Amino acid sequence: MVLVINEGFNDAGHEDPGHPERPDRVVAARSAVDDLHLGDDLVVVGAHSATRDELVRVHSGIYLDELSAYCYSGGGDIDQDTYATLDSFTIAKYAAGAGLAVIEELQRRNDGVGFVAARPPGHHALADRAMGFCLLNNVAVAAAALRSQGERVLIVDWDVHHGNGTQQIFWDVPEVLYVSTHQWPLFPGTGSVNEVGGRHAADRTVNIPLPPGATGDVLRRGIDEMAGPVIDSFDPTWVLVSAGYDAHRADPMADLRLTSGDFALLARCVSDYAPVPGRVVMFLEGGYDLGALRSSIHASLSAALGQPHDGESPSNGGPGTEQIERMRQSRRSTVEMLHASDDEESTQ
Amino acid sequence: MKPFQHVAVGYDGSPDATNAVRWTFDAAREVHASVTIVHAIGLIEHQRKHFSTDRVPPALLALAKECAFEESELHWLVEDGDACSVLLRMTSPPINADMLVVGSRGEGKREGLLLGSTSLELAEHASVPVVVVPSDFTEH
Repeated sequence: MVLVINEGFNDAGHEDPGHPERPDRVVAARSAVDDLHLGDDLVVVGAHSATRDELVRVHSGIYLDELSAYCYSGGGDIDQDTYATLDSFTIAKYAAGAGLAVIEELQRRNDGVGFVAARPPGHHALADRAMGFCLLNNVAVAAAALRSQGERVLIVDWDVHHGNGTQQIFWDVPEVLYVSTHQWPLFPGTGSVNEVGGRHAADRTVNIPLPPGATGDVLRRGIDEMAGPVIDSFDPTWVLVSAGYDAHRADPMADLRLTSGDFALLARCVSDYAPVPGRVVMFLEGGYDLGALRSSIHASLSAALGQPHDGESPSNGGPGTEQIERMRQSRRSTVEMLHASDDEESTQ
Repeated sequence: MKPFQHVAVGYDGSPDATNAVRWTFDAAREVHASVTIVHAIGLIEHQRKHFSTDRVPPALLALAKECAFEESELHWLVEDGDACSVLLRMTSPPINADMLVVGSRGEGKREGLLLGSTSLELAEHASVPVVVVPSDFTEH
């Protein structure tokens, strides 16, 4: 099976010395791809800068104007975590366009797995606000493009932080199902189990918050038991992954205890939700320990491509298992309440 | 108009935020309102927390004393998120703040910056009045 990856673009201009979201992250991601030794099975598609039309499907025009003006005037700190430089808007548009180019190639081939190794990451970017290192929401731009083609898109977000931007953008969109596993409590503070989607998309958001120290077995159980039935009933035509690797036990930004072996199992599990080959794309989100990032990307891509991997064993035994059934029931009640209030309104 | 009863004020340790807390103490004292001072923990701060989660920073206790604000009416909260989202959450249960206060510029922000301005974002999204205390504001 081929791996379709975006061509590298010069992202050195988006850097703030000492900031954890740095160009070396993409270098590590591309090294992980090199480690696969794919030869002719590696397909690199040309860089694409997302157009305004492609961006306004998810971001407000006013925000895009503000962000570009801010960057072109020299940039600076946007909030306590997020920075922009003179080149950031240009670079962010390439990051947002990379997924579109990869998807186009997969559609042409009807085969393969896609990987978008680009930065800055995107899943915290709201429709009208940058935050959490993110300027433009890369996975949302891709999902919105697919939606415009009539596709039903599953987004699985296994970054350790909740993807509040992606959730907000598709909150009331029935053609996009958003599933997130994340540590809680942790930045950005959203992602409660009772956030299930808007009135027109009740049940199209599945949040699986996990306590600090949770291991891969707990996370996979959460996906199987809480998200599995919802995904089956949604019947996606595409699977996009917000593939953050900061849930790895070596990552300094959070406290989950996953290993590269867990990311391999996750990638296999998520790939199984795609109806046919050529319909899975992984987007790099977080992951700040370069060694863990490289080994975890290698493991997840190996698994998605059906190759064995010989990295760390999957983790188990962490806390959180006992919460899953309780969370599932709580979520179910919230969805039923939303449906009931909707029925009540429609009969009045 | 019903006087406000519970004010939430953002605090990041910057001089502007301290100024905003001072204004809040003075205003709340006059109408016997309680005050929640809230600190937002961002992505990076997770690695090294700036403030204790369960103890009011001594500098704020000293400021309350200086403003003759009752310590028993002072609450300290540390929440995960960006400053804007965290303050907006303060208007919901269990806090139910009926007024939000921020300094005009947070730690490290560029003067006159519109993008990412917590005060502008709050003004746009908050369901309660928002007070922005200017950097150079002094009561007397």
